[in-house]
Amino acid sequence: MKLRRGTLRAALALVLLPLLTPAGAVEPISVGLAIAGAAASALTGFISYPRLYCYFRECCLHRHDPRAAAALQENLDKRLFGQHLVSKVVVKAVRGFLNNTNAKKPLALSLHGWTGTGKNFVSKIVAESIYKKGLQSKYVHQFVATLHFPHAHSINLYKDQLQSWIRGNVSICPRSLFIFDEMDKMHAGLIDSIKPFLDYYELLDGVSYRQAIFIFLSNAGAEKITEVALDFWRNGRTREDIQLTDIQNALSVSVFNNKNSGFWHSTLIDRNLIDYFIPFLPLEYKHVKMCVRVEIESRGYAVDEDIVSRIADEMTYFPREERIYSDKGCKTVDAKLDYYYDF
Amino acid sequence: MKLLKAAVIFVLVPTLTPAFDPLSVSVVVGGAVMAWHLLSSDSWLKCRFQECCNRNSTLNFTALKAQLDNRLFGQHLAKDVVLKAVLGFSNNPSPKKPLMLSLHGWAGTGKNFLSQILAEQVHPAGLRSKFVHLFLATLHFPHHDQVKLYKEQLQNWIRGNVSACPSSVFIFDEMDKMHPGVIDAIKPFLDYYEEVDGVSYRKAIFIFLSNAGGDLINKAALDFWASGKRREDIQLKDLEPLLSVGVFNNKNSGLWHSSIIDRNLIDYFVPFLPLEQRHVKMCVRAEMAARGYAVDEKIVQEVADEMTYFPKEQRIYSDKGCKTVQAKLDIHEDVVMRDTNARG
Repeated sequence: MKLRRGTLRAALALVLLPLLTPAGAVEPISVGLAIAGAAASALTGFISYPRLYCYFRECCLHRHDPRAAAALQENLDKRLFGQHLVSKVVVKAVRGFLNNTNAKKPLALSLHGWTGTGKNFVSKIVAESIYKKGLQSKYVHQFVATLHFPHAHSINLYKDQLQSWIRGNVSICPRSLFIFDEMDKMHAGLIDSIKPFLDYYELLDGVSYRQAIFIFLSNAGAEKITEVALDFWRNGRTREDIQLTDIQNALSVSVFNNKNSGFWHSTLIDRNLIDYFIPFLPLEYKHVKMCVRVEIESRGYAVDEDIVSRIADEMTYFPREERIYSDKGCKTVDAKLDYYYDF
Repeated sequence: MKLLKAAVIFVLVPTLTPAFDPLSVSVVVGGAVMAWHLLSSDSWLKCRFQECCNRNSTLNFTALKAQLDNRLFGQHLAKDVVLKAVLGFSNNPSPKKPLMLSLHGWAGTGKNFLSQILAEQVHPAGLRSKFVHLFLATLHFPHHDQVKLYKEQLQNWIRGNVSACPSSVFIFDEMDKMHPGVIDAIKPFLDYYEEVDGVSYRKAIFIFLSNAGGDLINKAALDFWASGKRREDIQLKDLEPLLSVGVFNNKNSGLWHSSIIDRNLIDYFVPFLPLEQRHVKMCVRAEMAARGYAVDEKIVQEVADEMTYFPKEQRIYSDKGCKTVQAKLDIHEDVVMRDTNARG
């Protein structure tokens, strides 16, 4: 609107100007051309106005979409099983961060837990809630340690490349999402190279990183989490009683001292640049059954409770005596499904 | 005055050149005058649109003091030292050497924050100004085998920028991670020379930030607390000798055996004390006020309780200073929002 009004006023001024000059020696053709030029630029401005353009191509979000947090909450409630801590913290963290126009540092989430408990799944849901195209969006970048940074001797090269990649992409779109998977396999020290981007700086070489989101996924600390969960179970308390504080402090220290965690003595924890450590609890029998049901429904079959129980029984559980938590979480459930349904 | 001249030209020129179209001539002359002003440096017109170097820079002492009192919590020593240093430096019409501050302390105590406030006083745009330069050791000087290249680049950068604007501010962060020796490259600029290759560095300001010596400061503060003395009683003289030697001998400090300390070119060592719980609460209150929420003491206490403190038994000083306070506030946000909305 402002654009249109501005150009309208300019056009009006241009038209009236010849009438104001005393000499009256202004050329009508040149003035006419000037007005036509102004009108054409106004039209182009209207067409290239972001709202219109963004219906057809993907745009970088400059203004916060208020539905993102609500969509995130809904998706987590419907699709993520057995992680009451995660849905609470992730939604609040993301909502608070997106709402805050004056964030002092980029959001850094560290997701820890047993395999198959839903870490990649949650990062996928987060990406889908914020970006239209989810993980396929050009503003979402996923790095897998064993794939993108395989050789320990090329670490200097990886450091340079990673810094350039992050700097380049955040300067294009400040609201970028970076997901680092398999942090426990990343070379200790590689993550130090992105520490400057996660810190409380206003500008680094002219680029502001304060609106970016970094998610780190890792299996480190899984044993600690399982310990806490088992303690609760053995004392007869429900899973939902487990609070974040019970796990958080234990996690932070154990991840820091674990040589394999990729964060080992890293400045990320040292400087407390990770905003939230989010634990993923190991999944129980009932959660595995929920996974199976969802998988059956997504394939379009009727849910047969008998088959669901049989598949859940086939999974292996630990600890040996109590047999409460699934070894692989919900992984390989869909493969087992294929065995029971004839196609 | 200038406007009057411009108006006079506008009116008179057409009458002097009867054969030309008055509108075009006025436009051309006006355009020429504007271009002249825009292209020449430091003209009043240019400085309205673009940032200009503050050539006769006198720092506003009262403004700086007010900013420090309002925004920096729990660092009486740092405030004192910086105010004195800046006052002396800015009031001196011909300083003998550039001002060099070395800020040391634990993480989250406010070193970057203080340097930001200081930079804002010298150049109003603060860290975004083109005359304020921030260098991070891990970002700008990452590889240890390229130290020679970094030295040369750093020297050229400093020389070029100080000749463009003598009152430039250079902030070096993560000094404890900088390769010992990179800093030696700028030693000539920091010394008591009148001019080096025709460029005078005497009005520049260099700030070094580092965590080195942080543990020594924490120990000294803890000793003070254990002997029952108040935090505000800690004097600079209690800490300065500790710091200088500790930083000098610490292989990780970046200033390790550096000639900068050797030659006593660092004007002031500014120590940052670790923050106590009451300071963390001040940070939370300031953050809530900045976001426009009503300050709820219950939430402030909850957030302060969630932070971790050291040493393990006494639990006095915050591990992370005031860092991650914002994130913790987000978790309590729904309660805060409800309260703010309720109060209208």
